[in-house]
This record gives sequence, C-alpha cells and structure tokens, in this order.
Amino acid sequence: MSRDLESLLRFAPDGSSDRLASLRREALAQFEEQGLPTRRLENWKGTSLVPLERLHFERVGPGAKSIEPETGAFDLVFVDGRLDSAASDLSALPAGIRVTTLLSALEEEPERVSDFLGRLAEPKRHALIALQTAFLEDGAFVSIDPGTKTVRPLRIRFVSTSDTDLDTEAEAASASFPRLLVVAGEDSAATIFQAHDSIGSAAGLTATVSEIFLARGAHVEFVQLQSEGAARVHFTSLHARVERDARFSSNVYTLGEGLVRSEAQVELAEPGARAELNGLFLGRGKGHVDHFTTVDHAAEDCESDEEYRGVLGDHSRGVFRGRVIVRPDAQRTDARQSNPNLLLSDHANIDTKPQLEIYADDVRASHGATIGQLDEDALFFLRARGIGESSARLLLTNAFAQSIVERIDDQGVRDLVREHVESTLDQFEGAARRDGERLR
Amino acid sequence: MTEAPLIQIHDLHATAGGSPILNGIDLEIRAGEVHAVMGPNGSGKSTLSNILVGKPGYEVTKGEILFRGKNLADMDPEIRAREGIFLAFQYPVEIPGVANNYFLRTALNAIRSHRGEEELDAMDFLSVMREKMKLVEMPDEMMSRAINEGFSGGEKKRNEILQMLLLEPSFCILDETDSGLDIDALRIVANGVNQMRSPDRAMLVITHYQRLLDYIVPDHVHVLSGGRIVRSGSKELAIELEEKGYGWIEDEAGAAS
Repeated sequence: MSRDLESLLRFAPDGSSDRLASLRREALAQFEEQGLPTRRLENWKGTSLVPLERLHFERVGPGAKSIEPETGAFDLVFVDGRLDSAASDLSALPAGIRVTTLLSALEEEPERVSDFLGRLAEPKRHALIALQTAFLEDGAFVSIDPGTKTVRPLRIRFVSTSDTDLDTEAEAASASFPRLLVVAGEDSAATIFQAHDSIGSAAGLTATVSEIFLARGAHVEFVQLQSEGAARVHFTSLHARVERDARFSSNVYTLGEGLVRSEAQVELAEPGARAELNGLFLGRGKGHVDHFTTVDHAAEDCESDEEYRGVLGDHSRGVFRGRVIVRPDAQRTDARQSNPNLLLSDHANIDTKPQLEIYADDVRASHGATIGQLDEDALFFLRARGIGESSARLLLTNAFAQSIVERIDDQGVRDLVREHVESTLDQFEGAARRDGERLR
Repeated sequence: MTEAPLIQIHDLHATAGGSPILNGIDLEIRAGEVHAVMGPNGSGKSTLSNILVGKPGYEVTKGEILFRGKNLADMDPEIRAREGIFLAFQYPVEIPGVANNYFLRTALNAIRSHRGEEELDAMDFLSVMREKMKLVEMPDEMMSRAINEGFSGGEKKRNEILQMLLLEPSFCILDETDSGLDIDALRIVANGVNQMRSPDRAMLVITHYQRLLDYIVPDHVHVLSGGRIVRSGSKELAIELEEKGYGWIEDEAGAAS
C-alpha cells in the first residue's frame, strides 16, 4: 500500500458486524489494494490527483459549523455526510414516496437496501468508489412506489464545511462522503435535485456516489448542481440502470472552482430504455474539471442523447471523455453525443475525446466535439446597440450555457439552476477583469 | 443654419486589411436632414457605415469624424450607440439563445442610463415595445424568440428598424436596408424609417438602387466612387443615376482626376 491519503485513512471506520460495516471493510481493502488512480491509467490521463495526496486531513464527518436552515428549501440536508435534522423537513412528502437516511433504511429493510447499495457502484472496479464506500457513513435513500408520479421535485443538499485548527489557526482539511440511493418503481416518475456546496475556504475532499435504479417504464429526472469552493477536491460518481421503456434524464452542473472529477455511467439494460445526459461545466480561476461519462447500450432499441457543454475561462482546464458502448445484441441503437466548448481565455484549455465502441451492426451513432470562442460579429452587434463589452460577453456566454439548462423539465429546478449558472458566469467574467485580462 | 452639423466627416481615409478603401471623404449632415449615399459595389459605402459605428477591422489613416463636435476615434462602439449613433445592418446577425426582448431591454436601459434617464422595468418596457412593434407590423411572438434566429430576410430588416424605433438614436445609418426586400416589406421598413424623421434627427441612407428613395425621400444625394464622393446633388441625382447607371459618373470622375 502506498502512502496515498495516509492522514485520511487513519479515520477509517472500525469494522463491526453489521452489513454496512462489512461493505465498508471490503471497500477499504479494495482501496488499499488499488491505491489512488494515477495518470498512467488510460481513464485518468487528463487529471492528476496529486493535490489530493498532498492534503493533510484533520477531520472526517461533521464539523464545528452548523447550517442555517432555509425553511422549505430542502427535504434533506446532510452536513459533511451526516443528516442535519434541524435543516431537513420531510413533513410535506407526497404519498407513495419514501425519503429517508440510508442508516434508517438499512435498519428498517436491510435486505432490500443491501440489494441495491453498491450494486452499480462497485468498489472493486474503481479506487475512488472504494474510498467513498469505505467511509460511507450515511446518505439519502429515495424509494418511489410503482405508479407514483410526484409533482414536485425532491431536494437534497450535501454541504461540506471546513474549520480552523484551534492550535495552529490554520484551516484544516476535512472530508465528506455523501451517498444517494434511488429506487424508482415501475411506471413511477420523479425529479430529484441534488446540491453539493461547501462553506468555508479550507481544502478538503468530497467524494460522492449516487446510484439510481429505474424499473420498467419509470421516468427519473436527476439534477445535480455542484458549486463547491476552489480549494476542494470533488469526486462524484453517478450510476444509473435503466430498464425496459424507462427514461432517465441526467443533468450535471459543475460550477465549482476546484479540482473536479465527475463520472456518469448509465446502463440501458433492457429494450426501449432511453437516457438523456445533459451537462454543463464552468471552469474558472485555476479550476480543473474532468468529466468522464459512459453510456452502455446493453439491449436493443435503446436511445441515448448526450450533450455536455464546457465554458472555460481564466487559467482553467477542462477534460471530457465520452464513452459510448454498443453491445453485440444492442441492435437498432440510436446514440448521439456532443461536446461543444467555449474558451474565454488564451490560458484556458480543453481536452475532449469521444470514444465509441460499437459491436452491433444496425446502429445509428453520432458524436462531435467543438472548441470555439465567442462570435465576434455577435459581440460587435450587441455593442453597436449600446451594450458594454463585458455585458455583451456575459450575455453571449450565458446564452451558450443556458441552452443546456432549457433541457431540465421541472420549471422550479430549471429556474434555480439558471440563476446559479448566470451568477457563476457573472463572477468569472468579473474575475477576469480584475486580472486586467481581456476575455476573448 | 447657425447650428453646427450633427456629423462632420473631414478628409476621411481608411484601409481594411491594408488596402485603401476610403480616399478622402468630406460630408456634413445637419439635424433634420436625410442624406443618401449611392454608389456601385466596392465603392466604399459599407466601409463608411462600418467606420461610423466603430466596427473592428478598419483603420482610419487620415482625417476625422466629429459627432456633435466630439471625435469618434475616442469612442468604443457601445459609447457611440449610447451617444445616439445607430446602424441598421445590411446583414443582421443571428444570436441563438439571446431573446430579442431581453436584448432590447438591456440595450435600451444602457442607453437610458447613459442619458441620465431612469431604466425601464419589464412592464414599462413591454408597453413601449408593443407600440413600436405595431409600427413595423411584427407579431408579439417574435419578441420572445432568439435574436434573428429563423427570421426571414425581411423579418431581420424589420427587426433592425424596430431596434431603431425603440432606441431613438439621433443619427440613423441604414446600410442597404432595401436589399433582399419585396415591395411589401420595403413599404413597412420605409414607414418605420419615416416615423423617425424629425428636425433633431439626421439620417444617412446607403443604397445601391434608387427604389428605396421613392419611399424615403432624401434632401441630398451623394455618389461614392473609388472611396470618394464624386458628385452631390438633390434627390433628382438619384433618378438620373437610375436612368444612366453609374458608368457615366465614374467616367467623369476618372476624367477629372
């Protein structure tokens, strides 16, 4: 075992006899065997985790700071991976839907939860999933009864805090390991909104895993908004299994400034399954945002439509890898993928690569990546109407980014994401002006 | 005529990509006047309008342009717009993702705050907007669409005139606004322009054909050739050009130089 994350691993939970403990114990062994991924691995060429290795962790789990509850804003709030019951409000849940902590779900129906937990996100396949599972303390469990259609979205917030070491007055690194498990019954429908943010400016690690199971005919819209601080390392791994005629819409918004690795793995497991993967990443400062997606067409007559947009300013770096696998039996597959990118600065860059692996013969598959700058004619047109240069740039950048936001069905969530995207872009245009750099 | 001209162009020389395009233009336009600039393709008509609004890609090598006595060389395009200069583009751009109404309110409020006027809120803006849209016969639904996206040629030109009506500039430049318009669209566009005619506003109408000038009747007509004004006259000059073509003027100018 290397010295990877030595300071973190001393916090690893002790083994005990319950199911969760044995899952954790196995995962820890898996992580110690694999070690942190390095750039020598094919899937990690674009991203180095050295900044993570350098962190010295002083804390895992709840910190000193408490969260001001925003009334009615979220159904469930987790602070550093643990439930904040004062900030959570489960009183207004519709019938047919169960939202609870993983811990209580494991107590109440251990067999069922164990059936799903870790089935898609397998520790043996991925060191960071192993790490997340090894530290898994609690999380959110969402279960939707067959036929239940929810009218309002479920909102879950995972917030990471940082605190100051009382002796040294230095800000200490903290780690949190949020987890989400969603089981959507046959013909059910729901929108689930998941927010990840951080309070305080200290370095830290957030490693999060979400598993979503869609039974026949289910329709799940999943929206993830990540807006953590610049000093944090954020790893997120989303897994979905989509059964016959079910429809999964994934919407991943990476607005945070730090080192981000965001993975999504969607399996179209049975005929007629559909998936939409929408993504937006905004790189600013010295941020590094890496998205790695896999769409696995495992059955015939399935459809996938993926579009991830990148906006990169300042000295940020973006990485996009989009894998599409079409298995030998997956005839009449329709798979689309695109990754348009907007570079706002000479110092920003993007490394984009689609990866199609097609083993069936009756397949429609398309992919495309573009890298561009703001349209100079459009920019001039706006200025010629009296709009200042930086506002005009913001207007055009925002238009590029918001076209993805339009794909969110739920209006309330869409409006909220739209505002977040706009205010984030506003900040990084402003940041560039402070540097005296002219965006282009 | 004691008041200074609104716009004064003195001995303007300009290049694009290193090649000389304008070779000494002199032109003064007073408030209340409509001037037409005509000329064959490549005579420098569009370059003149682009330079007036500060489009990048051109270099003024000699001469100056004064607007209300202020040198335009010191003004960014947005400042010129806020000061009251407006160009109706020959080829309006499409901007996906930016709604027409949002764009127009942003532009109008930038101009209003420059003038020291209060910004309009969404409701007030909407009522002003609706009133102007009627003038160019534009349906309401075009306002929530992205700027010019999927608009026909005629709709794009009407949208330009709508912007002009809304922003109320004091100096309007129309660059080949008639190109690609059928007779109905031409009438609508010309109506919009004529609404704008007033004693404290000047217009520069750039066109290849005399047709537009039947609708927007100019006070003065200038003929541009080889980057210079080779002849100026009254509106009858436009009719003469229509009959004889540009050849005779170019020949005359060639013989004189």
